[in-house]
Amino acid sequence: GNTAVEVREELRKAKENLFGQNRSSSNGHVVFEKQQLELDSVVEETITGDYALIINGHSLAHALESDVKNDLLELACMCKTVVCCRVTPLQKAQVVELVRNYRNAVTLAIGDGANDVSMIKSAHIGVGISGQEGLQAVLASDYSFAQFRYLQRLLLVHGRWSYFRMCKFMCKFLGYFFYKNFAFTLVHFWFGFFCGFSAQTVYDQWFITLFNIVYTSLPVLAMGIFDQDVSDQNSMDYPQLYKPGQLNLLFNKRQFFICMAHGIYTSLALFFIPYGAFYNVAGEDGQHIADYQSFAVTMATSLVIVVSVQIALDTSYWTVINHVFIWGSIATYFSILFTMHSNGIFGIFPNQFPFVGNV
Amino acid sequence: MKRTSEESQSRLPDNSALKQQQLPAYRLQLTATGVLSGFFATGVFCLGVGIILILSAKSIKEIEIKYTKICGNCAKLREDATNFDKECTCSIPFYLSETMQGNVYMYYKLYGFYQNLYRYILSRSNSQLMGTDLKDVGTCAPFSRSHDGTPIAPCGAIANSIFNDTIILSYNLNSSIPIEVPMLRSGITWWTDKYVKFQNPRSKNLSIAFAGTTKPPSWAKPVYELDQEDPENNGFLNDDFIVWMRAAAFPTFKKLYRRLNRIQYFTEGLPAGNYSFNITYNFPVTRFRGEKSVVLSTLTWSGGSNLFLGLAYTVTGAVTWLAFFSMMAIHLMLKDRKMFFTQQ
Repeated sequence: GNTAVEVREELRKAKENLFGQNRSSSNGHVVFEKQQLELDSVVEETITGDYALIINGHSLAHALESDVKNDLLELACMCKTVVCCRVTPLQKAQVVELVRNYRNAVTLAIGDGANDVSMIKSAHIGVGISGQEGLQAVLASDYSFAQFRYLQRLLLVHGRWSYFRMCKFMCKFLGYFFYKNFAFTLVHFWFGFFCGFSAQTVYDQWFITLFNIVYTSLPVLAMGIFDQDVSDQNSMDYPQLYKPGQLNLLFNKRQFFICMAHGIYTSLALFFIPYGAFYNVAGEDGQHIADYQSFAVTMATSLVIVVSVQIALDTSYWTVINHVFIWGSIATYFSILFTMHSNGIFGIFPNQFPFVGNV
Repeated sequence: MKRTSEESQSRLPDNSALKQQQLPAYRLQLTATGVLSGFFATGVFCLGVGIILILSAKSIKEIEIKYTKICGNCAKLREDATNFDKECTCSIPFYLSETMQGNVYMYYKLYGFYQNLYRYILSRSNSQLMGTDLKDVGTCAPFSRSHDGTPIAPCGAIANSIFNDTIILSYNLNSSIPIEVPMLRSGITWWTDKYVKFQNPRSKNLSIAFAGTTKPPSWAKPVYELDQEDPENNGFLNDDFIVWMRAAAFPTFKKLYRRLNRIQYFTEGLPAGNYSFNITYNFPVTRFRGEKSVVLSTLTWSGGSNLFLGLAYTVTGAVTWLAFFSMMAIHLMLKDRKMFFTQQ
């Protein structure tokens, strides 16, 4: 229609049509005629007879006015596909913003020319195509590649893997981060009951410094970069696998609390089993092995091993780098341990490295 | 991808395995046989180790006698610090029903003494104890200097609170004359403690070596008079001192005091019979509701009589086997169901 009033009328009629008709039986389309130009009504043939909305730039300008745009949005979201043709760059951005602001959805915009830049910037994820139309879209985008068809791989393979790793990183692994830090820190809570609540640490200070930086950081990094649950071919062949990402199945409050509970249980086991083992014990030649140094080293070693084995159990895709990082972290821990407890370094810094020798 | 002639550099990413996420990898598949056999093996291992540890712990003979209440009058005397110069001894008879075969070790055990307190553990000076810098008392607050400014050697709260009871074990041979059971004072510390961590300052004479320092406030004798018979056991190298300086992890701990010297009547160990402990009671524990006891114990390869580790292994093994059996049952039930589907 030519005026705002006509546009509104058409929109309302279309919505009534939609609500009135039986969706599964017929295949309907809503077409706007623009002035003298006859547009072929492009009908999107969909599988189950859903609807398509085709709107041109002139009508869109009216439809995006503040009192009408809600109708447009509702109608558009009920349709399977919406085609907006002959639109200006600003209108492209406005359509994206309409969906982004009023619907709780993640939006992706893909384009290749300079007129797509505003649209790319207003969506959550902007994808630029580098090619015939130059590089402006690429420079404004979050991801860029060379052909439109790569979008399928970006979403179904890399996007899926990214969610899966993030979630493993986040839930099973921010879950992992919470788990290892709970296991690491809560032992001090249990130890407080036995040290007069004097804030004495169970580990020696060097272990505390190096734990999160050296001993446990690399395996998680390797898993975040390389982990795959299904191969890329299977991800493309079975797009239903994309659903858990959309439905946020892998990272929610329940999963998070399960991870926390796991961390708490691990800290209990990590503290009380060495506590029981060291309680009334003596070495085989009578010497004192229930001292603070032996207890601290035992706790630290068991913590590093438990946390590394946990991430080994959670890794589903073992590349060389995963092996190197996981076993290398344990080896690094032991080599640093032996260095710090050696007689030589005690001779140089007796007050900083007091844990010398073994029973 | 078409490369335009203007582009001299291609933006195509490297086709290396690393960048294309195609590193050769092993995809871990957990099959039923793998998991079940793993659980079974773990269960067998844990049960085996647990049973061995329990049997070994059960073969130990240990006697513990708490003497704070028995020596009650001495305990009351020590509650008042002005009585420090009054000696108080206490004698505790007991009967050993079976011979303790092999090496026998005598420990003193403390209850409720928190050697793992944060400020307590900090309050020591390792460089002083190594003999390199006798005057380095910076970390030893509050026992670093006496009130006239002389540095304390050995400084710190750990050294100041040394356990100073004397315990002597006597054996009533023929129930007439008690003889003192010969005990060794040496060889009760860690090797690195005696030879690396603790060294006396170099000098011909120990009292000259410790000149310029004073004894800790709660000590009766200065550090170079701890054992004047044996110069290897004097000064910082005194075994009892070294054993005490190794801070315990928990408030209930026992520390090695003496080892049986297997000579005369005691070559096989401690024979059965009447014994008594003669204790010179110096260490006050009643003010913080602690307790003291003395322990005689034999040892095996797995250490003292601590059943916990053996029990923990056995319980873990049992739980693993329980999991194994339940998973095996579920697996067998489901296997039949799958076959039913494939027949259709």
